[in-house]
Amino acid sequence: MFTSNPFAELTVFLPPRAMQVYIVLMVLAVIVGTIADMMHKSSAKYFALRQEKLKAAATRQLSRADKASLALKTLVVEVASAGEFCNPQRRISHSLMFYGFLLYLGMTVVMIFGYPTHATPTPTIIPLLWNIGVIMLLIGGYWFFFLLRVNVAKDGQPMFRLVPADLFIVTLLGSVSFALAWEIVQTSGDLVATRITFGLYILFTTLLFCSVRWSKLAHMFFKPVVAFQRRVEEASGASSLPATRNQRS
Amino acid sequence: MPTFVYMASCDGCGECVDICPSDIMHIDPTTRRAFNIEPNFCWECYACVKACPQNAIDVRGYSDFAPLGHSVRVIRDEEKSTIAWKIIFRDGREKNFESPIRTTPWGSIKSPSDYEVPSQDAFKTQELAHEPETLNIDKLPALSPDQLKLGVV
Repeated sequence: MFTSNPFAELTVFLPPRAMQVYIVLMVLAVIVGTIADMMHKSSAKYFALRQEKLKAAATRQLSRADKASLALKTLVVEVASAGEFCNPQRRISHSLMFYGFLLYLGMTVVMIFGYPTHATPTPTIIPLLWNIGVIMLLIGGYWFFFLLRVNVAKDGQPMFRLVPADLFIVTLLGSVSFALAWEIVQTSGDLVATRITFGLYILFTTLLFCSVRWSKLAHMFFKPVVAFQRRVEEASGASSLPATRNQRS
Repeated sequence: MPTFVYMASCDGCGECVDICPSDIMHIDPTTRRAFNIEPNFCWECYACVKACPQNAIDVRGYSDFAPLGHSVRVIRDEEKSTIAWKIIFRDGREKNFESPIRTTPWGSIKSPSDYEVPSQDAFKTQELAHEPETLNIDKLPALSPDQLKLGVV
């Protein structure tokens, strides 16, 4: 079950071309959503203004090697190991979701574009990695949703009172939960149940990628940029903010 | 000098929400980051400033000593157990104040949420929750009822 390509089975009622077009549409939705978010918050404008101010305030010029070193530190600390979180449980949960999402997304694209039908047999490792990604996402995601959301854990809000910040995690969990449900149901051969679970999977996936303008999905793109920027500010002596834990280390 | 949060530095850990005695540090429902919901009610204890692991909470200086163009930065140093205040004046002068704030290592004190919820009987005593054991004494000094008679004490 976990070693066969679930998307190849779908060709019974869905042509591979439709799945490929859907992926392209979702990529476009993320791009449009991110641009709309940037326009709404004027974040690009403020980022450029801040750059100018920091250039004027810098007490030392950074060489290319300095910047490359800072970029590497950002990649290792903030991106690869979720170093901005001081709570180790959140770091683990975030890392599970981050790497799980990369595996799940990457393997989905590989299976849909590389091995769309049974005519091109899928190597066992690819669906296996897809399932590992899904399970990592589910563990990290449900752990975060039930135990680590700060508004619930610290601010005393009811667990099931959803706020705008929950849009991303709820749609993400809905998407991967129904992905797993659909894969399991599909192996039983029940076409109606397969169509229902697959429909819910697509519904939540569409919500996930089409709600970027309002959700926190775009943090994947913004956060590394901001983290790098803060390191540059600190190193060039232009920062007026207290150094963060990571910058001090 | 009420506190405020740098959104770019806050990681939403909720330490300030836990520690604020005025219950005015809350979590923003859109960004899931902390913010001071009512600066007017901040009694300036700076518990949140000291508790923030990311140095994301700072204070707004009053205009008499820190007028426009100023900055007041609070820097928390866990290793040295100090809080340093850095005041930058409009003319560029800087003043730094460093204060030791504790004698025990950072994080060595049990969080209030780690204690058990007091029983209903505990509410009937004059002692606060988990007293006297949390004070490392056997018994709190208290007057017995017979000492409360008029003219005795």
